[in-house]
Amino acid sequence: MSEPARVDETDVERLAAHIGLTIPPGSRAAVAQHLAALLAAVRVVEEFPLPETTEPVSRFEP
Amino acid sequence: MIDATTSAPAIAAAVRAGKTRAREVVAGALERIAQRDRTLNAFTAVLREAALADADAIDRRLAAGEDPGPLAGVPFAAKNLFDVAGLTTLAGSKINADRPPATRDATAVARLRAAGAVLIGALNMDEYAYGFSTENTHYGPTRNPRDTSRMAGGSSGGSAAAVAGGLVPLALGTDTNGSIRVPAALCGVFGLKPTFGRVSRAGVVPLAWSFDHVGPLARDVAGLAAAFDAIAGPDPRDPACSTQPPARCSDALTRGIDGLRIAIAGGHFARLAADEALAAVGRVAAALGARHEVSLPETHRARAAAQVITAGEAGAYHLASLRTRAADFDPMTRERLLAATLLPAAAYVRAQRFRAWYRARVAEAFREVDVLLAPTTPWPAPAIGAPWTARIGGTEVVTRSHLGVYTQPLSFIGLPVISVPIVAAGALPLGVQLIAAPFNEAVLFRVAARLEAVGVVGVPSDSS
Repeated sequence: MSEPARVDETDVERLAAHIGLTIPPGSRAAVAQHLAALLAAVRVVEEFPLPETTEPVSRFEP
Repeated sequence: MIDATTSAPAIAAAVRAGKTRAREVVAGALERIAQRDRTLNAFTAVLREAALADADAIDRRLAAGEDPGPLAGVPFAAKNLFDVAGLTTLAGSKINADRPPATRDATAVARLRAAGAVLIGALNMDEYAYGFSTENTHYGPTRNPRDTSRMAGGSSGGSAAAVAGGLVPLALGTDTNGSIRVPAALCGVFGLKPTFGRVSRAGVVPLAWSFDHVGPLARDVAGLAAAFDAIAGPDPRDPACSTQPPARCSDALTRGIDGLRIAIAGGHFARLAADEALAAVGRVAAALGARHEVSLPETHRARAAAQVITAGEAGAYHLASLRTRAADFDPMTRERLLAATLLPAAAYVRAQRFRAWYRARVAEAFREVDVLLAPTTPWPAPAIGAPWTARIGGTEVVTRSHLGVYTQPLSFIGLPVISVPIVAAGALPLGVQLIAAPFNEAVLFRVAARLEAVGVVGVPSDSS
């Protein structure tokens, strides 16, 4: 898996504020670490050259 | 004689034949729980009076010449993620403990009861099913019956420990990324994650709608099949539930494996594992005469995409509670859920698009093979409280997350999988995944029954 992205406590505090979420101060470092790990997973997915025609899986059956 | 090691079908046969009464069977299970669960901590609620009343009702129906169902008098328990009428659905959390009791049973619970099984109680789990260890801070860790200093695995850890410890012969769990298969493997019991949509999730608290599955854990293959047959099938209460009628798997157990093409999953499924985990796959492959290896493409990305989708959906589901009650979450899940709320939408959609691509590639592989074999976990049960990271093959991994390295890519695309237990004398249990194409559960049961018959897999009789 790719190396974790750089995410710091200020990043998570700012991002959380946009969705009305307050990260408890004691949790910010751990949240930054977990978000970095998630973004590393995102990068593993995004590095793959998906065909443009590939649609998301959908369960919606009207 | 019915004891802690008696399988669900054997109990039902004895009750139906009048050789024992359901009340005696249920009283025996309650007694074992009273004796052992202070150590194991598998149960969060024991429904003593209700269970005895239900058992009496089964006995009355038999005395009246009625058929109480194929699982007559079989005690079972359900992960506390399932609604049970009259009981608050904890979902492993402190927050949900404030909610009123459920007003009706989850579909899977109701179907087992309709088949004559008797609900004994609710089982411990990782908070909101977001974990692989059942080291629950609110309700305490569930301990592995094979070594009580070790994790039971999760998130259906209470389910696996209750079955492995001989408290009940049958339990219900859920599996989003491996939460039936991982604890089944670490505790040494059989666990089935059916095809996505094969078993209703109605009345079950979600973790990630895209991947949530309901399935049974049992001490033997016939018990697993009987439970699956009872719970599988369409349900209008679950919009993701398939309308296809299910194949009856109890009838598949004696069909043998002639003609089945069985191969070993290579590549991703052979990396970053302890030698004994790969040796377990080798023992199963040898017993089945499987020598051919199949490599599924880009499986490490499938696992990464599963992590992204799970986080995206779980973060969205819990956002309201995270805004108002973050301090009440389990520290084992709180920071991961908080981080999950911050994922960009584009990442989530990209992962769902990759899911479609990977599903198509794996479907191609299953044109050449009927069953694939892979380790369930990369190593046996870690110690409770194990360090956050560990090293394997020179690579640092996250100890608990790495337990799902081989299960996540499979639930990602909804394939049916049975984890079969390998329990060698003096060693901790391990599991091997039997994997099939969607809706081919019957093929998995044929293979599992063969492995059990030749003694390669199974729960040892001293496991109680």
